[in-house]
Amino acid sequence: MNNIEKTFPVFSAAFALIYIVSVELNWALFTYHPKIKQFGWLVEPSRDGPPMYWYGWLLTSTLGATAVSVIAWPLLRNRPTQYWLGWTVPLVVMVSVFYFFRDFFLR
Amino acid sequence: MATFLVILHGLLAVALLGSITHQAVAVTWPSKSKVGFSNAYRAVSSRVYVNANIVLFIVVAALGGWIYPIYRVWVRTYLENARLFSAVGSFEIKEQFISIGLGMLPFYWLVWRRPEPAGQSARTAVTLMFCFIVWFGFLVGHILNNVRGLFGL
Repeated sequence: MNNIEKTFPVFSAAFALIYIVSVELNWALFTYHPKIKQFGWLVEPSRDGPPMYWYGWLLTSTLGATAVSVIAWPLLRNRPTQYWLGWTVPLVVMVSVFYFFRDFFLR
Repeated sequence: MATFLVILHGLLAVALLGSITHQAVAVTWPSKSKVGFSNAYRAVSSRVYVNANIVLFIVVAALGGWIYPIYRVWVRTYLENARLFSAVGSFEIKEQFISIGLGMLPFYWLVWRRPEPAGQSARTAVTLMFCFIVWFGFLVGHILNNVRGLFGL
């Protein structure tokens, strides 16, 4: 197994963590305004119709997880692949999603 | 065009649903015998589904992302006006699960590419998680697509 592949569990864990933080704190790198089909940098309030941040959260998470993986790469070189990291962290994040979005079901 | 894309999104989701379910069953409940439907269903090689699942997941997610603005502007507004907040919340959860799944794809590919004993539990876990994500996304999408009929609106 080459060394880049050893970072995949780290990427998986970092992506899930950064994603849920991005959703909760709204760290979108760009905003899409679907009604008028316009893009804006970072988080923007509504121009006309509801703004969409999901695409921006995905970009934030992808770039963040890539950065974490690059930083972790030399540290993982002489270590076994941390398989557990790649699924336990996303699993915990998935469970936490139910908690963060509970208000929709309690109204 | 939007209707065509929604139908295509749904059809590809059905293909993904079948593929990931087959893989999940084969990895958690394998069989060496191929006698009978149940055994034959479980006796398949789980690895052959990996690339198809990855491609289908990306394509289905991309199609969903393409038609998402229509949902956000028109459908979600309608649901909120109808006070169907649980339906809106279900879609929100689906959206987050799909995103987490996208981030797990390289790891999913890794654990299946070289089935080492050390990655056995990870292989089972990540496959089951993908299976859950796909089933959840499919059911929520299907219910929302038929929400007016289901709720008599």
